[in-house]
Formats: sequence, C-alpha cells, structure tokens
Amino acid sequence: MRKLASCALVALAFPAAAGAHATLVRTSPGFAERLAHSPRVVRLQFDQSVKVLPKAITVFTAKGKVVSGSARASDAQRTIEAPVRRLGRGAYTVRWTAVSADGHVISGVFTFGVRHRAPPATEAYGSGGPTTSEHLVRWLYFLALALLAGGLGFRLLVLHGPLPPAAERRFYRLVGLGAVGAIEVGILAFLLRAEDALQLPFGKFLYGDLSPIAGGTRFGTAFVAMTLGFALVSAILFLAWLTDRPLLLWPAFVLALGFASGLSLSGHDAADRGSSWLSELADWTHLAAASLWVGGLVMLAFVVWPLAPDLRRRAFLRFSRLATGLIVLILSAGVYLSVLRLPRLSDLWTAGYGHVLLVKLGLVSLALLWGAAHHFLVRPALERGAPLFARLPRSLAGESAVGIAILLAAAVLVDSKPPPQPAATPPVAVQR
Amino acid sequence: MEPPAQFVHWMFATGFLLLGLCLLAKAFVGEEVWNRRAWRAYLWPSLLFAMGVLMWPVMVFFTNSTIHMLAHGSWAQVMMLAGAAELGLVRGKLHSPYWRLTMPLALSVSGTALLIHEQNGWLFARSAFLHHALGWTALVGAIFPLAAVFRPRSPVWSSGLALVLVVVAVMLYSDRDVAPIFGHLSPVAGEQHR
Repeated sequence: MRKLASCALVALAFPAAAGAHATLVRTSPGFAERLAHSPRVVRLQFDQSVKVLPKAITVFTAKGKVVSGSARASDAQRTIEAPVRRLGRGAYTVRWTAVSADGHVISGVFTFGVRHRAPPATEAYGSGGPTTSEHLVRWLYFLALALLAGGLGFRLLVLHGPLPPAAERRFYRLVGLGAVGAIEVGILAFLLRAEDALQLPFGKFLYGDLSPIAGGTRFGTAFVAMTLGFALVSAILFLAWLTDRPLLLWPAFVLALGFASGLSLSGHDAADRGSSWLSELADWTHLAAASLWVGGLVMLAFVVWPLAPDLRRRAFLRFSRLATGLIVLILSAGVYLSVLRLPRLSDLWTAGYGHVLLVKLGLVSLALLWGAAHHFLVRPALERGAPLFARLPRSLAGESAVGIAILLAAAVLVDSKPPPQPAATPPVAVQR
Repeated sequence: MEPPAQFVHWMFATGFLLLGLCLLAKAFVGEEVWNRRAWRAYLWPSLLFAMGVLMWPVMVFFTNSTIHMLAHGSWAQVMMLAGAAELGLVRGKLHSPYWRLTMPLALSVSGTALLIHEQNGWLFARSAFLHHALGWTALVGAIFPLAAVFRPRSPVWSSGLALVLVVVAVMLYSDRDVAPIFGHLSPVAGEQHR
C-alpha cells in the first residue's frame, strides 16, 4: 500500500515524461464542411509544434478506401498536411494523429463532403455504432429522466400539498438522484460515442480531440445543452429543498422537460430522412409522457405508499386520472412515429428495428393491461370508499418494473437504425 | 467562439479571492460575530456553489481533450457539493458536522485533477507551472479543512483554508495561456502572449 502511494506521488510530481499537449486550432477542410471541389491537401494547424508520423493524416472514402498520401510538416512543425487524390462526389473521413515534440500522442477525427453532405463525426468511417454499453447507458439516462421529470411532475400535479417529512426527504433523494444521474450518465454517453468515433484505445482517448463531436454534431450540441440544462435544474432543485419552497419545483420541472427535448432534436426523428418538426414534437411528447408515467409510478410505489399512508387514496386516484391522459399521448405519438419509421408493415418482422419495436409493443401491451386493471377495477372501488387492497403496493411496484423494462426496449430502439425509406418514384412521362 | 482560457482563469480567480477573503474575515472575527448577520453565514457557501454551477459551461465548451473535459467536470461537481453541504448546515437542513468533509474532498479531488490533466513538466510554460503549483497547493491545503472538521474552533485551521484560497486566486491571476516561467519557455509551447 505504501509502495502504491509512493508511486502515485512520484507520478504526480514528475509527469514530465508525458509531453506537450498540442491543440488543433484549424483544419482545412473544416469540420463537416461541404466543398464544391475536391481539395488538393488536408491541412491541420496546431498551437504547438508536433512530430509527423508517416500516417499522420489518413483520408478515407465512405467505403474505407484510403485516398491520402504521406503527411509532411511545415510552419515550424505546427502545420501538417497530406496530399489527396482528386476526390469524387461523396463523404470523407479524416483520422489524424501527431506526436508532440516531447512524446505525447494526440489524435482526432473529422469529416467533410465533396458536393455531398458530410456525415457527423460520430458516423465517420470506422465507427462501430452503438454497443451494448451504449444501450445500457441510454437506458440509465431514460431512468434518470423518469425519476427527475416524472418525480417532479408527480409532486406538482398529483400531490400539491405538504408531505410528511420522511416522504419529502425520500422525494428529494429520488429526484436529486435523477438530476445527478442525468448529468453523469449524459457525460458517459457522450464519451462512449466519442470513443467510438475516434476509435482509440483508452490511454490515447484521454487526449483525443472532442471538439468536432461536441461542436459539429447534433448529438454534441444536445450534450452541451442538456449538461448545462440539467446542471441548472440540479441547482434549482437544491434551492427548493434548502429553502422549503415547492414553488421552485415548477421552473425545475419545466426546464427538465424542456431540456429532455435534446434527445428528440438529435435522434432519428430529427436527423433521418422524412423527419420534420412534427416528428420531433411527437418524439418529445412520447418521451415526456413516458417519463411522467414511469416516474409517477415509482413515486407512488416508493414514496407515497410506504411513507405517506394518509395520502395513498388521494394520490392513487389523482395519478390514475393523469395516467389516462399520459397513455393517450404515449400511444398516439408512438403510433405516428412507428408509421413514419416503418414504411412497410413487413418491416416489423423483417428488419432488426421492427423486432425491437415488437418487443417494446409486447411490453407496452402488458403495461396497458396492468394499468387497465388499476383503472377499471381498483379505482372505482377506491372511489366508493372501499379499503385499500393489501396487494396494491406490490402491484404498483410490478407496473413500475414493466415501465422500466419498456424504457430498456426504448433505449435499444433509439440506438437501432430504422429501415431505409423507399426512394421517391420519379414522375413517369406521359406519351401522347 | 471560445474566450482565451486565461480570461476564464481570471474570472474564477476573482471568485476564489472573494471566497478566501470571506473566510479570512470569519477566522479573524470568529464565527459568532460573523454569523450575527444571517446573510453573512450564507455568503461564502453560496459563492462556492455558484462557482460550481458556472464551471459547467467551461466543461462543455472547452473540449480539446477528454481529460480536460473530465477535470473541469470534477471541479464543477465538488464545488457544488461542498457549497451545498455548507449551505445545508447553515440552514439547519443537515446536522452532522461530517458534511464539512466535503471541503477537503473538494480540494483533494481538484488538486489531483489539476495534476493529472497537466501533461507538461513544471518549467514547460507558466500555465504548466501554475497547474502543478495549484495542484499541490490544493492537495496539501486539504489538510486545513480536514483538521477544521475535528477542531472547528481552532483559528489556525480555518484561517489556513482561507489563505490557501487566496494563494489559489493569486496563482490563477498569474496565468497566461502561453508565457515564460522564471524566464523559461519551451520552444514547442507556441507563440508567447503579451
């Protein structure tokens, strides 16, 4: 243990073996730039001098063919450039790596297009696409959103008045967990996507340039906006707890729902062919309503039921009414998006996207049946003043678990690629 | 368009200077006198919490490397945590004095992150020197708030923390993006600023 501590101290005191951390200041072509003509060279400019490796700059076509020559340095070793062949119409990926004068390796990736839209850096040639880790991280993100937005919605729309102190404490713990989770999991999701785009081992990834991904993609813009937004929501939530002012929960709720739209504005329903403001709105409605529903169920099962017995009946009846409206929103937005993303019914059983959707639909049907039992059997009995069913808390926890499973299916679905849209049929000339 | 990094360092230097001066005044006059005005008890924890919130834009807009982004994210979180814990104690929402351990935690995490994210040697350039000096100051300075948790009435520990923060502020004010240190600037460091 002492040795370990000594090594850590020495490593911190003498990091000089690692070198200068040069920063890329300009590129030509620019990040995601669309060019009218083929460039003659790809040029990178750094703020410090760098050493050039033979494959310091590699330019790939969309199919992975290398179209660049050997790189060389100029401008006191601060600029490196590589010649490229005459490039045809299409998208191109630039992967670069350079060694600083004292040995430190820095790397990055960006894209450009010649008479063609450049793909985002996250879809550069060589990127593997979403992995199981990304599915799990996205699921955790949905859970965090459900705890945050759903918890706040439940507190504001279902339970207006004061809560017993123990229930209030647990409410803030769960919602705070959601807020912190949204920030932390958001950072993790961004880093996983960036690691996939850069295709670097961990040691080199720590010094990878993230700016083309943070600033040049919808995903990066959403990450920036959502991190800032949820940091603000966390601060407001903390102030609400500190000052005992539930009124402050309203701005936190509105901001949480508003910044959740970052997912809708950077996903399939914003970027893929056939997308419009309507598809973005439908996606956000679907996400917001699902978060309110799942988060509300969790609050009912784990806050109200164990810690606020006097509020159980009122909370259940009110949430039951709210859930009906939420289910209508979830179903209508979901059906619209499914029709938009799956142009043929057969895609449901022939495409991978359709398979995941079928699993999700199965889980949604189960949740609907469960909810219907609560709505049509339990609710009328409670309205008549019947005593609370002993098994109701377990039933609520079960429905929450199904809701959480639906979020997992939704996470896999969002990371999957929808089947391609059929090309528009050209108009047929009428012969007279 | 990002502002030069040195401007951001100077802004946070102002925050740390105010923080250090508040704590120094509190150490001089004693906690009882300082807390006679209720707002004064909230002053420095609120400032620390706000600085944590303001660190998030730095984290998301300066993304030239992963380690840089993670370091700024860790500072944002520990500053918010330490400020929030102190606010909770002042307000009476938190009761255990051990919540004050968040301050030495914040200094330790900040110091370690500073040392890890600076990859150049001490004399590479002024900013590298300051990163090392700041990192070690924060790490060693964590002893003061740690001792203050167990001896809250000792003026040595509370004024020690205040002085650490003032020193941090002076170092941040001395920062320039590319500038020599003791007349030395690495030839690969880039063009010198004024």
